[in-house]
Amino acid sequence: MTYNEVINITQNIQVRKQTKNLMKTMKTERTGDNCPHQIVSLTGISFERKSIIGFVELTVVPVRDNLRQIKLNAKQCRIYRVVLNEEYEAHFQYFDPFLDVCQSDTETRSLDEFSRYHLNASLKVDPDNNAGTALRVGIEFSLEQPQGGIHFVVPQKEGTYTERGVHLFTYGHQNSTRLWFPCVDSFAETCTWKLEFTVDEEMTAVSNGDLMEVVYTPDMRRKTFHYTLNVPTCAPNISLAVGPFEIYVDPYMHEVTHFCLPGLLPILKVTSRYMHEAFEFYEETLSNRYPYTCYKQVFVDETDEDYRSYATMSIFSVNLLHSAVIIDQVYESRRVMSQAIAEQFFGCFISMQNWSDMWLNKGISQYLCGLYCKKSFGNNNYRGLIQSTLLEVVQYEEKFGGIVLDPSQPPAPLPVGTNTPQSDPNKVLQEEKFYFSIRNLHTMSPMYINALHKKSMLVMRMLEHRIGQELLLQVFNKQLSLAVNAAHQKIGSGLWGHMLISTNVFTKAIFTVTGKDMAVFIDQWVRTGGHAKFHLTSVFNRKRNTIELEIRQDATTQLGIRKYVGPLLVTLQELDGTFKHMLQIENTVVKSDITCHSKSRRNKKKKIPLCTGEEVDMDLSAMDDSPVLWIRLDPEMTLLRSVVIEQPDYQWQYQLRHERDVTAQIEAIVALERYPTPSTRMALTDTIENEQCYYEVRCRAAQCLTKVANAMVANWAGPPAMLAIFRKFFGSFAAPHIIKQNNFTNFQHYYLQKIIPLAMSGLRNAHGICPPEVIRFLLDLFKYNDNSKNRYSDNYYRATLVEALGRTVTPVVSVQQGAPITAENLSADTKAILEEITRLLNLEKVLPSYKYSVSVTCLKAIRKLQKFGHLPSRSTIFKSYSAYGHFIDIRLSALECMVDFVRADGKMEDLHYLLDLLENDPDPGLQHKLAGMLIENPPFRRGHKDKFDLPDLVERIWTNINCMFSHDTRLRCDMVDLYYTLYGGKRPYCLPLPELEGILCLDRHRADAASMNKSRPSTSVFHSYKSPIPNVNTIKPKVESPQKDLGSGMVIEEQVDMMNEDVIMTEEKIIKEEPLDLHVEPSEMMLPKQEYYSDNSVSLPGMGLSGPVGFEPGMFNKEGDSKQKKDDPSKLKKKKKDKKKHKHKHKHKHEHKHGKEKKDKDPNKARLKEETLSSVSSTPSPVGMNLTSENM
Amino acid sequence: MSSPPVDQQTNVYRKMLTAVISSICMGTGFDSIEKEALASLVELIQCYLSELSVICKNYCELAGRSEPLIADIILAFIDMGINFSCFEDYIKNAKYPSLPPIIVQQPPKQPNMLTTGVKQPLPSHIPLYLPEFPVPHAYIRTPTHRQPIIDYESVREKAAIQKKDVERALTKFLAKTAPTTHNLFDTEETNIFPLIASQPNYPPYLSALLPQDQIFDQEDLEYDPKAEAIEHKKSREKKNEAVKIEKVEEELESVKSEENNSSNNFIDNPYLAATKLPNTEGMDVTSC
Repeated sequence: MTYNEVINITQNIQVRKQTKNLMKTMKTERTGDNCPHQIVSLTGISFERKSIIGFVELTVVPVRDNLRQIKLNAKQCRIYRVVLNEEYEAHFQYFDPFLDVCQSDTETRSLDEFSRYHLNASLKVDPDNNAGTALRVGIEFSLEQPQGGIHFVVPQKEGTYTERGVHLFTYGHQNSTRLWFPCVDSFAETCTWKLEFTVDEEMTAVSNGDLMEVVYTPDMRRKTFHYTLNVPTCAPNISLAVGPFEIYVDPYMHEVTHFCLPGLLPILKVTSRYMHEAFEFYEETLSNRYPYTCYKQVFVDETDEDYRSYATMSIFSVNLLHSAVIIDQVYESRRVMSQAIAEQFFGCFISMQNWSDMWLNKGISQYLCGLYCKKSFGNNNYRGLIQSTLLEVVQYEEKFGGIVLDPSQPPAPLPVGTNTPQSDPNKVLQEEKFYFSIRNLHTMSPMYINALHKKSMLVMRMLEHRIGQELLLQVFNKQLSLAVNAAHQKIGSGLWGHMLISTNVFTKAIFTVTGKDMAVFIDQWVRTGGHAKFHLTSVFNRKRNTIELEIRQDATTQLGIRKYVGPLLVTLQELDGTFKHMLQIENTVVKSDITCHSKSRRNKKKKIPLCTGEEVDMDLSAMDDSPVLWIRLDPEMTLLRSVVIEQPDYQWQYQLRHERDVTAQIEAIVALERYPTPSTRMALTDTIENEQCYYEVRCRAAQCLTKVANAMVANWAGPPAMLAIFRKFFGSFAAPHIIKQNNFTNFQHYYLQKIIPLAMSGLRNAHGICPPEVIRFLLDLFKYNDNSKNRYSDNYYRATLVEALGRTVTPVVSVQQGAPITAENLSADTKAILEEITRLLNLEKVLPSYKYSVSVTCLKAIRKLQKFGHLPSRSTIFKSYSAYGHFIDIRLSALECMVDFVRADGKMEDLHYLLDLLENDPDPGLQHKLAGMLIENPPFRRGHKDKFDLPDLVERIWTNINCMFSHDTRLRCDMVDLYYTLYGGKRPYCLPLPELEGILCLDRHRADAASMNKSRPSTSVFHSYKSPIPNVNTIKPKVESPQKDLGSGMVIEEQVDMMNEDVIMTEEKIIKEEPLDLHVEPSEMMLPKQEYYSDNSVSLPGMGLSGPVGFEPGMFNKEGDSKQKKDDPSKLKKKKKDKKKHKHKHKHKHEHKHGKEKKDKDPNKARLKEETLSSVSSTPSPVGMNLTSENM
Repeated sequence: MSSPPVDQQTNVYRKMLTAVISSICMGTGFDSIEKEALASLVELIQCYLSELSVICKNYCELAGRSEPLIADIILAFIDMGINFSCFEDYIKNAKYPSLPPIIVQQPPKQPNMLTTGVKQPLPSHIPLYLPEFPVPHAYIRTPTHRQPIIDYESVREKAAIQKKDVERALTKFLAKTAPTTHNLFDTEETNIFPLIASQPNYPPYLSALLPQDQIFDQEDLEYDPKAEAIEHKKSREKKNEAVKIEKVEEELESVKSEENNSSNNFIDNPYLAATKLPNTEGMDVTSC
């Protein structure tokens, strides 16, 4: 497949206008309004062949007279024709640097280098980076078996499309619309749209804008959906979903339409029934109408993310749907749906000036969604969310480095302040610290992006604290009002720029609305990465009745941490009430004496006032003479910070018992883990039992109590912790040891009922094993579980019980060395556990629970039993459950077990199985999540000698990041993350030094060439090349992994067929050329061009001359793809040899190819040469492309 | 015996008459007698005796007695025209075997009713001669089994065991009939914990999102606590205000219902609109 990232359309104007004999090039400049309208028409959508034929027409208003080039983004599309004003055919060329990111540097295997190349490649195709009379550019194109950007879900089953639930939808990482039609794939290039989709009669095409009409085609078997989108929208916000959808018009708002796959309508109704409330909330909060005329929600299968919001429509994962008997999923689904709606306002309607302004849209929409969640799920939930988000951001930054929300502009040097000179170099350093470039959206690690989104939400919330919520909402309102105004204007008005948001615009808007200059804030938190870290200690001075605080920022040189200067709020809870003190932090160590308000007088019985104004009785006997009950730092989380507070355990206990803020309670619980004392135990137990307490806190307390009880096990004689609490809450009245029939109408109790068994399963006795009474308790819970009278489903509860059973498993005590593990010699407990698990797992085959939640945990429990030696460690089960066709959650669970298995007992083939899935699985979401698991739990640790640490593996991953995943940015960056996890930023140790390798190269290439000539290209495998091991070894693996080869071989054949078709279609242009044996050795054929035209060939712009070993973007087309493994750039040397052989034979071909290549290589030169014929289809098929390109 | 047994059902007297006829015939020198002939003879003698007895009875009653005398019998014979004196010779000369005395068979004793429970004594207002009450189960209740144990604990216990047994049997059956199973252990011969191999099921989300592990009412599946709360509130409000603004309420109602109707009838949503037929213009659009 050819991934053609940029199309340059060169137009010979002489033909058209005699007066101007200059070639016109249009450079897309962001300031110029040059593309006011675009038509997209997809006519031939075939689910059988997974192909699309389409046509786009861009109306371009040149801003300059000397328009010479139009640069468009199009990837993996095969372009047939480019027509200007329906009259003139234009020449075009393609160029996709992601097909070989490192280009000339074939030897490098270090991420440091890669990151640089990667950025260069990304910048080259970044439409924002490359900078009358209306001109219409029409492009005919097709997509076949697209690898990314648009996803076909075609279950292998008999039946009509409706019965099978066949559908397709678009997806992609950030701006990836180029993957399914040619466009200017920039967030800043907005235009109005007309979209037409012709689909089968039973299908519905859902896309952006208003559905104007649906018209039958003349043969009455297909329908055409006509959409118009009059609000200027950028290409990344264009989407499409086609399927046999069931249509449900929202009963509250008729402008809103929901779509789901056949059979799911009842649960769609349940899931979407509160959606109108989100709309009302946002409209009210922003005091602005919803900017579009309609909204569509489409629920589809196999999405790569839970949701993605596009102009007037959102595409959701089908797995968000739930019926009214499900509890846990509701919160998640409602949050996701309201987030998608919030992004309609900020993200879709208001786009961004540059991708570096992404933080604004993400931050604002998440902030709004947070407000909605606060309204519907409560303040405690909201504060808990903020706290956990803050923690995640802090953890990411401390592990990988500070996140810079907007890296486009360095922070202005502060006029005053000693840390200015420090912070600047710091920032530079921090940027360098990442193993990827943060200067482009397509090079950033998905983990980084994820953390960046979270951080932007926190920063937005910080802004709320600085300027007040009302004013912040007014700022949003202003942005929206301006944009709404602009949207109704013509492009000529020049107002469309108001629809874009940027850091500077936003800062200015804040100033206009509030009169406050937030530039310093923006510099500090948006343009600089990192967070603050405070360490607080305190001493009570009895003589002076003061408390001496010391706040240190010791770790400012650590990764992700920077010094904070400014105000910091400290809250003291004293006997007489809560007192707030604003301290100025100016240095790394700040000492402050705070006079206590209250004399120590704990003997007097008096109620103690809290910050909320209530007065409570406390048992003060644990205190010493300090009147301070507890200390908090920055309680409102107004800074991006991590805080370490040192205070004695009784203060933490008071904080847990009496502080009303849930975040303080959670902090106290975390801190109390370190104090396993009876009083801690008491405090935790009381918290669990306290019905006034937020359920999340009670759950956390239960989990903490597990740890505390385990630490105290030596001197504890009573029943296992929490058993009494559980029986008190859930035991039946007549027989406390039998659990009541389930009744989940009280959700607090529901969550407690789930968490306590889980927490108890973590208990260990003095021997380090789970107490037998706990196991019996758990088995009894299974036995007596009775959900017949319950209104809600107990699937999550049962799943948690299985998880708890799994957690009771401890390493097997007596292992006869070498003896096989059989069912007979299992311990009684293990047998009981295993029986329970197998029964539940088998039962799920006929009576599946919601989302197979029980199976998911059963698999994990089996893995746990294997891991601890109770079962033989085997991967068969996990492999079978991870196959395509199972429900996604089951697959993910099985893969998690596989990843764990690979790390412990896996063989190379198991690891390759995982990598095969990573490369070829049809479900893009699974690939990403699998990559996440491998990163989380890598097969081996960096720098440790391991059986997997082989050059083969390096090659495989490297090939993937270097050329294989050009179609999927996120996956490519995932692989970079994985590579980094395994090998770090430098060249992997398992590879020999390149100098040494050079010596071996000659031999190997000869051998490779020989093998290549013998075998079809498809049968060779990637790992033959760079492996430094002697020849014999390198060639062997090729032969030995027939499975994969077979697979790719088949694919290739298919592709070859298609290529032939293509050739026939365009035969008249080729005339003499026969397809020959093109597909037999395509790679060899393509190579010669370089040498043949060596005098003309130029390197890619900005790449510098790379000598004869350059890489031709066109060469990895469809055929090349399946054997990319082989087509490792490093191979080129060898190929060069071959190409000489073929040179004369395929002269023609070389010619075109050359032409194309030349252009690719140097647009600058190409521009000078008007005559260059370049054209190719960006088709997947190399051959077809070469042949057809000639006359276009 | 030559005389075949007559019909078993015939009564004792007839049986005796048969025996009498048989012995007379034997005395006369017959060896055997046909069944029909014997029956006829018995019939004859029965008639003869009956007539004799009736006449005898008549004379007896005529004389004002209740028991006949020998004289009555003689008169009867005379009445019937039979020479009474020849009987004497017949009795003296003929030698007939004497018949065994007739043993009246005791009817088989009915087995005693199973007595369960204690019969209730008659209340005082009922005379003692009236039949006593039947056994209580016949008209009060029938304690045919022991009282079930209904304490909570054992009921739960039983339900739990039953449920588990059903599940175990089902899974066992499924595992046995499943085409393939996984074995958690390496040994091949015994698979104590067979795991049914999971078959990919297209589309996979359907079974996952529409679970079948429990059966819920349709009501529960669409239960909307919020709507219910609102409804509740509304109805309460309605009650409160019903008296005051009944009319207004009604108007509102009607408006609302109209609204509902109208909204149900046409929702202005393009996806619900009918697909247009192609016209020339449309063709143009699609063809491009």
